Amino acid sequence: MISRNVFVINQLGLHARAATRLVNCASDFDSEIIIKKGPREVNGKSIMGVLTLAAATGTELTIEAEGADEKQAIDAMIQLINNRFGEDQ
Amino acid sequence: MSLTLSGHAVAPGVVIGQVHLAESNELEIGEYRINQEDVDKEINRYRNAVGAAREQLLELADRIDLAVAAPAAEIIQSHVLMMGDSMIRQSTEDHIRDQLCNAEWALQTQLEKILSEFRSMDDEYIRTRGEDVTQVVRLIQSKLSAEAATTPFENIPDRLAETLVVAYDLTPGELALLHERGVAGIVTEHGGPHSHTAILASSLGIPAVLGVHGARSQLQEDSVVILDGGLGVVIADPDEATLEHYHEVRLDAERYRRSLASLRERRADSLDGVEVSLQANAERRAELLQSITSGADGIGLYRTEFLYLQGAPPDEETQLAEYLSALDMLDGKPLTIRTLDLGADKSTDALDFSQLRRSVNPALGLRAVRLCLRDTALFKTQLRAILRASSSGLVRCLIPMITSVQEIRLVRKLIEESKIELDERRQPYDKDMKLGGMIEVPAAALAIDELGRELDFISVGTNDLLQYALAADRGDEQVAHLYDLEHPGIVRLLRYILREAERLELPATVCGEVAGDPRYTRMLLALGLRQFSMHPARLLEVKKVVRETRVDAATDAMKVWLKNPSAAKDCSLLELLDRSQASS
Repeated sequence: MISRNVFVINQLGLHARAATRLVNCASDFDSEIIIKKGPREVNGKSIMGVLTLAAATGTELTIEAEGADEKQAIDAMIQLINNRFGEDQ
Repeated sequence: MSLTLSGHAVAPGVVIGQVHLAESNELEIGEYRINQEDVDKEINRYRNAVGAAREQLLELADRIDLAVAAPAAEIIQSHVLMMGDSMIRQSTEDHIRDQLCNAEWALQTQLEKILSEFRSMDDEYIRTRGEDVTQVVRLIQSKLSAEAATTPFENIPDRLAETLVVAYDLTPGELALLHERGVAGIVTEHGGPHSHTAILASSLGIPAVLGVHGARSQLQEDSVVILDGGLGVVIADPDEATLEHYHEVRLDAERYRRSLASLRERRADSLDGVEVSLQANAERRAELLQSITSGADGIGLYRTEFLYLQGAPPDEETQLAEYLSALDMLDGKPLTIRTLDLGADKSTDALDFSQLRRSVNPALGLRAVRLCLRDTALFKTQLRAILRASSSGLVRCLIPMITSVQEIRLVRKLIEESKIELDERRQPYDKDMKLGGMIEVPAAALAIDELGRELDFISVGTNDLLQYALAADRGDEQVAHLYDLEHPGIVRLLRYILREAERLELPATVCGEVAGDPRYTRMLLALGLRQFSMHPARLLEVKKVVRETRVDAATDAMKVWLKNPSAAKDCSLLELLDRSQASS
């Protein structure tokens, strides 16, 4: 299992389109993915779970991945978040 | 007696049209018991309904014209994800199995559970997403119900021009369908400014007023009403004077739209004959298509990050194919490819604390060309793909976030190495491919003289440049007011960059959001800008302003203002520039 922390930096936070892209990204991998915000944790492959995190911009998240492709999964997700989900800066 | 109903103004535009009341698609959801031996049958019935609902959404997404409604496709995609989410899918099946109840009821129970969770959120935006879940569940329930229409809005006429659809609520899918049939405007009783219906109506350009209480009981079928999407009102039984006023407004809007459309083939020359080049910013196919239809002179900023956000970094062939397909669409017009502008630390090792601290401020960290120069294998893969594409069309290479001369030299060295590698493989490329730098770092802006000598062109990324120069993130509400394009420091900085570029005979483009904001077009022209690159949707509006501007008069007014910006107390810089046009 690997785990990394990341800050949500896009303007709108984990809104629906960003959450959709994140869940799509997580679903590309076989590993189990958990996203944590403070005491709350949700399945990274669940759109509803990710939405209910209500992670606004500036929120710190912990992403955990476990499985054969855990490293690739976590890299891809961190990159997506750091790149503001491909939104315009 | 006219009656004015008000709601949320979510998509501007005026419509005078006939009311069509959409039948409410409220379903009666009943509960009944099923026998233990029928559980599998019930679960199958449920799965089939989900499958049918999913198919309907996907088919809809397929039909959406990406050039005009990319957000619609994404919203529909999020609904597809919700449908397959374990919180709906698995939980409903479990509920059927454990409680021995019908699928409709099991879904309803899950929906209420999820909604109560959404309602407890502090964040208004997230609370609003409960509506999306409701819409998704309703769609599945309608597929479960035998008597429900197989396609939504079957009873709505095929042609909806001059028609205002009044409904309790509309799903993004329904809205896309109405758009396809040419609906003139929409009114709903439900839905707020953050709802997806609102976002979608605005992106599709359908005038809309949402959240109008009692709309369906107060508006009569076939009666003529006025919808003013900008004010968020619907006027029933309008009197003569009101009707006349709105006919005027509509005519003006129509004239404006036509005048824009007629500009497509026209040149972007100013009144005093200054030639201006208008290019488009694009990444995916939809924007490329839109760029071509809006008559762009080429792509001034082709973003490549999307290629890197789909798992593993793309190999050379994948990138090349993408660039070649863009070139193909452009039909001889130039394509400016920006190299990777990611802000992530790609290090795959678990982060230690100090690294985490460093990534806290990614805007000032290891990103863009800084990242590429650290991971040269990744960078050279992209450089080779860009070089190879340059043998098939007019390709320019743009490096983001250049800070120093050393960086440019390192990039040039990597390009030379890439060329040698291609020579060894006997693969062709344009030996004189132009290399440009994005000017986003204030220190780089002030060192144009040094940097410019090493570059073939520059592109000013005003979004980041302003943010760095003003030390204010415009996404941060508390300081967004400081993000001011008319700040004398910003105006002088832009003036300096463009003047130096002119002196060095260095082609300069502005590709930030300001380039596509017609309010600032005159200001940029007065500062000496002659090449704009913007979102393709804004191109014709900007062209219109260029063609209505006397650049010489604006330039003179700018010079006067720059001498003493605080002298014009009662008048903003933009007003001053507009006035300069009248007096010349």
